[in-house]
Amino acid sequence: MAYNDHAATAHDHDAHDHKPHGWRRWVFATNHKDIGTMYLVFAGISFFIGGSMAMLIRLELFKPGMQFLDPMFFNSMTTMHALEMIFGAVMPAWTGLANWMIPMQVGAPDMALPRLNNFSFWILPFAFTLLLSTLFVPGGGPAGGWTMYPPLMLQGGAGFPMTIFAIHMMGISSILGAINVVVTIMNLRAPGMTLLRMPLFVWTWLITAYLLIAVMPVLAGAVTMLLTDHFFGTTFFTAAGGGDPVMFQHIFWFFGHPEVYILILPAFGVVSEIIPTFSRKPLFGYEAMVYATASIAFLSFIVWAHHMFTVGMPLAGQLFFMLSTMLIAIPTGVKVFNWTATMYRGSLSFEPPMLFALSFLFLFTIGGLSGLMLAIVPADYQYQDTYFVVAHFHYVLVPGAVFAIMGAIYYWLPKWTGNMYDQKLATWHFWLSTIFVNVLFFPQHFLGLAGMPRRIPDYAVQFTDWNMVSSIGGFAFGLSQFLFPYIIWKCVRGGVRVGNRAWEGAHGLEWELPSPPPFHSWTEPPSDALIQRGAAH
Amino acid sequence: MAGNGTSTAPDAGQRQRGVRRTALLLGIVAAVFYVGFIAMMVWRATR
Repeated sequence: MAYNDHAATAHDHDAHDHKPHGWRRWVFATNHKDIGTMYLVFAGISFFIGGSMAMLIRLELFKPGMQFLDPMFFNSMTTMHALEMIFGAVMPAWTGLANWMIPMQVGAPDMALPRLNNFSFWILPFAFTLLLSTLFVPGGGPAGGWTMYPPLMLQGGAGFPMTIFAIHMMGISSILGAINVVVTIMNLRAPGMTLLRMPLFVWTWLITAYLLIAVMPVLAGAVTMLLTDHFFGTTFFTAAGGGDPVMFQHIFWFFGHPEVYILILPAFGVVSEIIPTFSRKPLFGYEAMVYATASIAFLSFIVWAHHMFTVGMPLAGQLFFMLSTMLIAIPTGVKVFNWTATMYRGSLSFEPPMLFALSFLFLFTIGGLSGLMLAIVPADYQYQDTYFVVAHFHYVLVPGAVFAIMGAIYYWLPKWTGNMYDQKLATWHFWLSTIFVNVLFFPQHFLGLAGMPRRIPDYAVQFTDWNMVSSIGGFAFGLSQFLFPYIIWKCVRGGVRVGNRAWEGAHGLEWELPSPPPFHSWTEPPSDALIQRGAAH
Repeated sequence: MAGNGTSTAPDAGQRQRGVRRTALLLGIVAAVFYVGFIAMMVWRATR
């Protein structure tokens, strides 16, 4: 056993927990742990809603011809699946983890702006109810893809303005959440918790928060222009009125590419926490990791047009965006090297968080490599809008972002609940997920290279075999995810009690608190000795 | 026990001012970005 089952640990803090009870605890929540829990539950619900949409997509694509879905509804499903997963599942999951962990990791009693925190969360259920309700209005849900390119997006029905409003609400929620994270980190760190003593999860979130503040307004502007083009007679993106639909793509991807890093940078932070713990070694190259994260964030602003090489642009532009995209491989390579070097000659053990982190390391790298292929302009002309792109970004986002979230939950769940979860079942969850995520997405590389276009409900018969394999992988992956909430639920209900330091190799201020931590933690700042012990990098 | 430490807590008022200052600054930056981008777009449309 690599975890510490200190049954004798005193839980005398319970007596000092003055927490509200009943529905008021959640509706009026200002405690960072409660709000973190609500974000995570919301993300979990969105994950299953978005996942069920993916199942419908894979069901339709199981064989050629139209089987179950109307083509318009199929397009709605691809669009809504993406919006649900990006804005409803991955982003709220990271915000939930930030809420739970950042105050505990920097020695702060709570987030700096607790009421704003409550507001940021409670916007989300309304935004997503609005978004999902578009499926029931005339014209159906948005069907122009999550990128919302005009003129296709402008052809939407009554659901179109509802989608735009929902996106505004999600954007405002994200910006307010990001402001809270920055203010907390910059102002509420315990004395002695210098910037270069902060855990990597806190660092990556700080940089992510700045990205959010910078790019979410761009998305808001872009979708507002769509709205005015549709309802108020402007022609920003309508060629007939002197506008340019390609301009939307530039604006959208100026938001969209940093958004990819908003989804993945906290994953880098989590993996940088997990790998040292289960290697029983300090993180190799801590400062290099911080600078690499900042470099990736900076580069994310100057690569956007690699998403749209085929719309046509000057050769100098193509070269600039190709080379700047390739540059991202350098700081990312630094990270992969440092994680590997951390494990080198470490005393490794393979508990579920480490398994998910290792899977992340291998499979995210595959997604990164296919990203490099897509950065090459002439090659991209062949891959553009094929299933190769779908395979690429799903490798980045599923075994990348989603596996890192699962790894993070398996890592910190014993801290949150005070109980160790069923590790055997979690290991099953890991293997089923890892095997079937590859069965699901790897064949899509072959389909893309063979020329199968994305976002179509029907396809030529030569693509049948790999689509069947992909769908079988999808169904198995989807089913195996039901293990996750079951494992969490079982752990919340009870289990072997764990000590403060649930994992023997763990370092950081959160592990100095009892498990579960008191409702109000670090009401007095931690000592310098505790901070130094935690900052073992 | 949780929360016990030997560090001296920073002045609460000073910390509160820092929180307000940073929150205000970021709020203004975000609002200027958010509203400014849309206002710029409306202005361009009416030219």
